Amino acid sequence: MTPSSPDCTDTPPSSAVVEARHLVKRYGDVDVLRDVSLSVAEGTVTTIIGASGSGKSTLLRCMNLLERPQQGQLTIADESMRFTAQGPRSGHTDMPLSRHQLQRLRAKVAMVFQQFNLWPHMTVLGNVSEPPVRVKGVSRRKANALAMHYLERVGMAERADAYPAFLSGGQQQRVAIARALAMEPQILLFDEPTSALDPERVNEVLGVIRGLADEGRTMLMVTHEMAFARDVSDQIVFLDRGVVGAAGSPERIFEQSDNERCRRFIAPAA
Amino acid sequence: MDFSWLSDPFYQEYLVEGLINTLWLLLVSAVAGLILAVAMAMARIKGPRPLAWLATGVTAVIRGTPLLVQLFFFYYGVGRLLEGIPGIQDSIFWGLLRDPFFYATLTFTLSVGAYSGEILRGALLNVPPGEREAGRAYGFHPWQVFVHLWLPRAVQLCLPTLTGEMILLLKSIPLVSTIAMMDLLQAANIIRDETFLTYEPLLLIAAIYLLLTLILTLVLQQLERHFPGVQPQRRRFRWWAQARHG
Ligand SMILES: Nc1ncnc2c1ncn2[C@@H]1O[C@H](COP(=O)(O)OP(=O)(O)OP(=O)(O)O)[C@@H](O)[C@H]1O
Ligand SMILES: [Mg+2]
Repeated sequence: MTPSSPDCTDTPPSSAVVEARHLVKRYGDVDVLRDVSLSVAEGTVTTIIGASGSGKSTLLRCMNLLERPQQGQLTIADESMRFTAQGPRSGHTDMPLSRHQLQRLRAKVAMVFQQFNLWPHMTVLGNVSEPPVRVKGVSRRKANALAMHYLERVGMAERADAYPAFLSGGQQQRVAIARALAMEPQILLFDEPTSALDPERVNEVLGVIRGLADEGRTMLMVTHEMAFARDVSDQIVFLDRGVVGAAGSPERIFEQSDNERCRRFIAPAA
Repeated sequence: MDFSWLSDPFYQEYLVEGLINTLWLLLVSAVAGLILAVAMAMARIKGPRPLAWLATGVTAVIRGTPLLVQLFFFYYGVGRLLEGIPGIQDSIFWGLLRDPFFYATLTFTLSVGAYSGEILRGALLNVPPGEREAGRAYGFHPWQVFVHLWLPRAVQLCLPTLTGEMILLLKSIPLVSTIAMMDLLQAANIIRDETFLTYEPLLLIAAIYLLLTLILTLVLQQLERHFPGVQPQRRRFRWWAQARHG
């Protein structure tokens, strides 16, 4: 299996960091994603919205192959692949990529999780410098400098020596964002970054994300913060039971969507 | 109380040899046993089915039978069986296979592997899966996820239980005197037989064991205290809480 198939005629324009086509993902016989296509241009923010269980997290997790789609094509951070229903396992992974390509892809696609997922046995500094050291082979000294730079960026530099257990949720999530930034990725993935936070902690995290959007970073985000999504996004994708119900600019989606279910989903927030 | 035998250089030599053997046995079986424990725990969690069954079976047998019986089984059973293999007495392994130290190490290693393996297995399963997933998402190799994220976290979770196992191990070591290995108890037995003094040698080795246990406890406590990410509240009040709850 080669990563880029010759019959992939509709190659994405070079400005697209993500180009997903006809992705299908099922668990057993539950179709979670049914034919999802999506494209994210470089330097733009795309937000995925939709009801609980509509497949938002699954779609996001397909982007760095934490989940493996059964069908479709994906180009992300200059890596292209085509998925087919699970054939015989090839080599070490059941992915249409070698272990090396998979690692290279993941190094360029950094994810921020709802539950932060910091490593509790490492300090804040350790958490942020560990991935560059382990995955990119950066020296510990350089990685620490890099980590301090991005901790500064999220306002957590003074807590560099603390362990995650001593931080508030908002602080932990800011560290997790610094961890993602320290990989200097081409694209940032956020899966409901504020859903696990106390209400009074939400804004400090949203503020950091907004700053990143203003810097022109490419981001793909899942959130239930509708006002925020409308504010920072260049594109909104409404996911509905595993298909894209509507996609377009925030104005279009929030004000004049022709998708009935999308309008109803938006209504309470508008 | 008659401790005059303490000045006898022969008895001193027995005691020193017994002490050294005791410490060696502790160190070798602790290190080998903990490595085995990690392997057994992983075999049961992620291993291919036959390997998982094997590890589960070994754990059940080792935990379900007395340590002394296992020691006899390996020394008198397996040891004698090996003796019967033609040519083995000329092989380079014979020196090892004749030495009770070998069988003692084997027995204690298996024991630590089974008990600590069970403890580690629980701890590994208790590490929130999101922590491993974060490693995967950042491109860690599965091996790196295990070595740098999963295992250290599991050890952090079960460290006090593991250190408790090491202290139990130290106190099981006198069993080896029954297979004619020169440990502290064996030294005391020889002194008793030759001097007809029953209590004094026993008292001495009891005191030595008490001291060893204290030292080992202190060393392991330092290890626990300095393990990365252990909560300071727990650090500060640990000693006090232990004293209260025993
Ligand atoms: N590993 C899994 N095995 C089986 N079913 C799964 C698995 N992961 C997700 N699902 C199912 O897939 C569907 C979509 O899940 P997903 O987490 O993508 O939804 P979501 O849109 O992110 O929802 P939420 O807003 O609640 O986070 C759900 O019905 C869920 O039960
Ligand atoms: Mg979700």
